[in-house]
Amino acid sequence: MNNITIGQYIPGTSWLHKLDPRIKLLSLVILLVGTFMIPISVDLIPLITMLLIFVGIMVLTASTGIPMRKVLNGLRPIVFLLTFTFFIQLFYVRTGTLVTAPITMYISLSSMTGIILWLIFYNWSKKYVKTRILYFFFTAFMIFFIQAMLPYINFSSYTLYIYDEGLIRAGFIFVRITNVIIMTSLLTFTTMTTDLNYGIESLLKPLKVIKVPVDVIAMMLSLTLRYIPTLLGETEKIMKAQASRGVDFKESKFKEKVVQIISLLIPVFVISFKRAEDLGNAMEVRGYVIGAKRTRIDEYQIGFADIFSLIVACVILGLIIYSRAIA
Amino acid sequence: MGIQFKDVSYSYKGLKVNYDAIRHIYLDIKDKGEFIAIVGQTGSGKSTLVQHMNALLLPSSGNVVVFGQNLPPKKKEKINYLRQKVGLVFQFPEYQLFEETILKDIMFGPKNFKSTESQAMEMAKNAARIVGIDESLYEQSPFRISGGQMRRVAIAGILAMEPEILVLDEPTRGLDPRGRRDLMAIFKELHAKDGKTIILITHDMDLVSEYAKRVIVLKDGNLVFDGTKEELFEHPEFDSFHLDLPTPLKILKHLEKEVGIKYQPKYDFDSLLNYLKEVSHE
Repeated sequence: MNNITIGQYIPGTSWLHKLDPRIKLLSLVILLVGTFMIPISVDLIPLITMLLIFVGIMVLTASTGIPMRKVLNGLRPIVFLLTFTFFIQLFYVRTGTLVTAPITMYISLSSMTGIILWLIFYNWSKKYVKTRILYFFFTAFMIFFIQAMLPYINFSSYTLYIYDEGLIRAGFIFVRITNVIIMTSLLTFTTMTTDLNYGIESLLKPLKVIKVPVDVIAMMLSLTLRYIPTLLGETEKIMKAQASRGVDFKESKFKEKVVQIISLLIPVFVISFKRAEDLGNAMEVRGYVIGAKRTRIDEYQIGFADIFSLIVACVILGLIIYSRAIA
Repeated sequence: MGIQFKDVSYSYKGLKVNYDAIRHIYLDIKDKGEFIAIVGQTGSGKSTLVQHMNALLLPSSGNVVVFGQNLPPKKKEKINYLRQKVGLVFQFPEYQLFEETILKDIMFGPKNFKSTESQAMEMAKNAARIVGIDESLYEQSPFRISGGQMRRVAIAGILAMEPEILVLDEPTRGLDPRGRRDLMAIFKELHAKDGKTIILITHDMDLVSEYAKRVIVLKDGNLVFDGTKEELFEHPEFDSFHLDLPTPLKILKHLEKEVGIKYQPKYDFDSLLNYLKEVSHE
């Protein structure tokens, strides 16, 4: 239960930690827009820009003192998507020149057995491998490799054409998704949820003109974030209490599972409603009025580093737009 | 049989450092005739200790043996059945209620342990009788009764599984004095009638002195005392446990100091009263 991290903040004193949350958010948005504006193509300029951004992000990560493993772990939820898009791009782009001679793939008894054996080996061995994302990628590669290598007792076969353009596009998209994920996780790693919330609130402030209750939304957001760990704790408690009544969350049939989940959901709902009511009362007692002007204990001030990083982000975006225009 | 702890430690995994909740605990608890109170300051590891008794937590090092089952278990050994043998009632157990009717909720435990519908019904009704839930309430929603009654229903939910050892984590917390007395009377009755072993976590030293036979004191995850309550309150290092004396003993000590009535340990109010009557007649 404890490995679910919503607030992923890693305490630190680097310049990225100290950056004003508003500026950090704004710069991130600018850089994200920039990354998506780089056109997918086989030309040299977009490729170099993408790789430069990747290198830049790596330098940025190193400068914050956050362990690289932690940042790469952020890729874990999308590793399947990454692999999937990579191979789709690789196999379905049919322009450019062939990189290798057409490869014949065999769906044969031997290759199928080979794949199954490999998957078993993968499942067994993955807990010993540290860079699991790379290992997963390697496994996807192995599945095709085995098909090409073991033609014995063949049922049917198909041919793969790998073009250089496919390879480049696949790599390009791969790096782009990686960039986006690492950039956003850098933000969440270096910014406390309260600061993040403050950043969102003040960036959305202009919407107040069209009667959007920005401060209420911000308060809701911060309360939600605040209560995630609390509710997780409560859920764990209820799970244990129901386990003491014989609910076995690990080993049971589907029909039993439904009842088990109900036995967990209803108490958690009851508790969260009760908590919400208590919190509402506590806030009211301390003088919280919706829409009233509120002061903050920490006032943020935009310093030199903030302006500088915003300018850098804008320059990067500008260069990308410029290179798009001349292309 | 019963429960044995052999050099048991448990640590919660933190981000950077692991936090040792209990350290090198040795314990032997019989499955019949014990009434044990576990006391200690907040954060001394009491709750962690009792969660080992029905295998909710598995020791980080050392062994727990529950009714002959070694914990941590070997691969593929099922341990769920231990939770029927050792019934654990958590703090504020009323939050675990979820069924439509009170009776159904009490039946939930027995049904999980493969009792048939009619067996479970029988066990549930029996448990409801023990905790004093009136028959007219059986078909009501468990969310529409008072807090005290909800707690009784929740405890009945554990009792209905007919556990051999009953473990209670602060069962009287948040109850009024009357509710506390009534609830303790139920446990006392269970203990006296069937000789069921009852293990109780509490901060209330009056409950300890009145009901418990054996007391286990935890301090910062270490077991610092394990013995009878008589030994505990006379223990030379009692002050180092950071525990309060129970009220009857406090009164007697005060009387000795102020009026000169000879101190003699009495563990509940009735025997205190009798003793004082005796003294005043002399």
